Amino acid sequence: MKERIISASAALAEALHEEMTRDKSIFIIGEDLAVHEGIFGQFKGLPKSFPGRIIDAPISESAIAGVGLGSALTGMRPIVDMHFSDFVTCCMDELCNQAAKIRYMSGGQVKVPMVLWCPDGAGLRAAAQHSQSLEAWFVHTPGLKVVVPSEPVDVKGLIKSALRDDNPVMFFQHKQLFAKKGPVPEEPYLIPLGQAAVKREGKDVSLLCYGSSYYLCQAAADVLADLNIEAEIVDLRTLKPLDMETVAQSIRKTNRAVVVHEACLTGGYGAELAARIQEELFDYLDAPIKRVAARDVPIPFSPGLEDYCLPKVSDVVAAVQAVTYK
Amino acid sequence: MVTEITIPKLGLTMEEAKLVKWSFDMGRTVAAKQMVALIETDKVSFEIVSPVKGLVYPVVPAGTMVLVAQIIGYIATDEAELAILQKEHPVDAGVIVEQSEDKPGGKLDKTAPAATDTAGSKVGERIIASPLARRMAKDHDLDLAKIPGTGPGGRIVEADIQKILAAPTQAAPAPISKAPAPEESEFALTVAEEIPIQGIRKVIFQNMHLSLNTQAQLTLQTEVSAKGMQDFRNRINNILDPDETKISYNAIMIKAVALALRQHPRVNSSVDGEMIKVWKQIHVGAAMDVGKGLIVPKIRNADTKSIMTIAKEMGQLVDKAKQNTLSLDELQGGTFTITNLGAWGIDHFTPIVNFPESAILGLGRIVEKPWVKNSEVVVEPRIALSLTFDHRIIDGAPGAMFLKTLTRMIEEPLLML
Repeated sequence: MKERIISASAALAEALHEEMTRDKSIFIIGEDLAVHEGIFGQFKGLPKSFPGRIIDAPISESAIAGVGLGSALTGMRPIVDMHFSDFVTCCMDELCNQAAKIRYMSGGQVKVPMVLWCPDGAGLRAAAQHSQSLEAWFVHTPGLKVVVPSEPVDVKGLIKSALRDDNPVMFFQHKQLFAKKGPVPEEPYLIPLGQAAVKREGKDVSLLCYGSSYYLCQAAADVLADLNIEAEIVDLRTLKPLDMETVAQSIRKTNRAVVVHEACLTGGYGAELAARIQEELFDYLDAPIKRVAARDVPIPFSPGLEDYCLPKVSDVVAAVQAVTYK
Repeated sequence: MVTEITIPKLGLTMEEAKLVKWSFDMGRTVAAKQMVALIETDKVSFEIVSPVKGLVYPVVPAGTMVLVAQIIGYIATDEAELAILQKEHPVDAGVIVEQSEDKPGGKLDKTAPAATDTAGSKVGERIIASPLARRMAKDHDLDLAKIPGTGPGGRIVEADIQKILAAPTQAAPAPISKAPAPEESEFALTVAEEIPIQGIRKVIFQNMHLSLNTQAQLTLQTEVSAKGMQDFRNRINNILDPDETKISYNAIMIKAVALALRQHPRVNSSVDGEMIKVWKQIHVGAAMDVGKGLIVPKIRNADTKSIMTIAKEMGQLVDKAKQNTLSLDELQGGTFTITNLGAWGIDHFTPIVNFPESAILGLGRIVEKPWVKNSEVVVEPRIALSLTFDHRIIDGAPGAMFLKTLTRMIEEPLLML
């Protein structure tokens, strides 16, 4: 398959072009979309190509998510743009009490094919209210699917699958990854939800990651290679449903696991993953499962403090050395 | 007043020791300065003497690992104090004392509990092993209790099991065979004695293996006239007062080696990671056999000491070695070792470097031999020298030059001035 090197933003725009052309029921609603074409350039060209299907709404996340939910219930496939994922707090009822539950509570009479598009993550000096990684909240809400892509190729393949899914999907994209470039096939393709990818093979430890922590793990794996430790990188891509089989295959091989995420440690996805691993793979473990995550504080505005709070390559390396006893 | 018996700190790095035995049963009388208990570290055995006369009250059972400064028992002045001790620190008297094996007339007390057995130290305790290590041990019928753990806190991890599986013939952690034992052949070997590998013997095991496993050892051998050294020694000893320590060949050799090391500093070095570290100090060890195995007490800064001083210090170290009172500091941190097999009629041999040092000198016997000198056959006392060194650090020629410097000083001790 032929490939080009494009950014995550371009990959997303391309995916949306393809899907919106294919399916007339898809539309995007959010703040300042038509004029800006997305604050990260992620909707470039869409307002011109699909007039009337990129809808600017007043600043009310509650209203925006409500419109999304209502239109999904009546047969549309909305993309609800949260602008920053932190603003989901303003529409938690629409998301968690309504969108997540209505298909179940109606006995399957209705469904909610909606994508909540949420740029998240820290590192932009955007302070505590604009830097969070909130995926664990939604993993903890039955009825929602949670997707956190890392590379451009994943962004494209996963957003297309999310748009075709009949359930509400939380789609988290790290703000610092929009400009990241990577190979993306020219031919249309899909990456199914709930399918992890082994992106680097190794025999000594499994690095379980998603979103921004994937790049952290790649850098750490290079350092570890110099220390004669071969790290295997499993990019989870979808947190719910989780591809436990790929995780298990890797750990059965390496016997050690380190979970890396940018979200803060306590109650993070790493806790869930570690619990699953010890429960299902206990006899394969040669060391306790380590978690590398942000510190349990609101993300500081001060650049020095923000960097201090976020997980670093050296943290991943140290965790791996601890579990490999090297 | 009750006197505490505590574990002394015998060296800078000492943290724990094994309480090998108690010399007295509970309530027996010990004299002041009499040995009350024997402890053993990785490097040295040490007799703990009672500072006072009194009644012994052991608390910690023999065979236990004890920490520096830990109270292992008490000396009571009288029966009344002993009774108080029994109330305050109740212990089962019968369990504690292990009869000494080498005590004259003392019978081997087989009723002593298993507490002295090292493998037994894990009995009753949970063995710490990773889940994977447990499963592997089970799959291969290995007994975890016999496998040393190298993970944090002694956790047995995959690597430890792999090590055992890679070397299945190694004695200690033998698989527990569930299959019926093979039929006894008339040629089957029977064990006459089982000697636990521990204490000094264990250290020798590790160091010998480490030494040959790590270094590229080369031995150069030569033979020199011992005439000059003999005359030198006799002259000095003849003028010494009767109460002064006579100088030995070993003392002269230590001095000569130290001076030669000063001229060839590369021989006085160790490898540390990616670095060859040449030491400022010259601490020459002299290997001695004290019955249980080899130990190597050091003469510190031997290059700066007179032969008389070296002889005196050697004498003190030998006495301490015989009495088992050498401290760890006296045994650690050497930079070069001399080993002498002359007393057993050996000439040339291939000594093994005392790791992490880089060279060792083996001395043979001094023996009269015919020797061609100026085309004449003469009878001359000769001594064989065997220098083993780490060929990674020291090339052949520099090694030979060190030996040459040394042989010149042995043949003409005046060069040491």
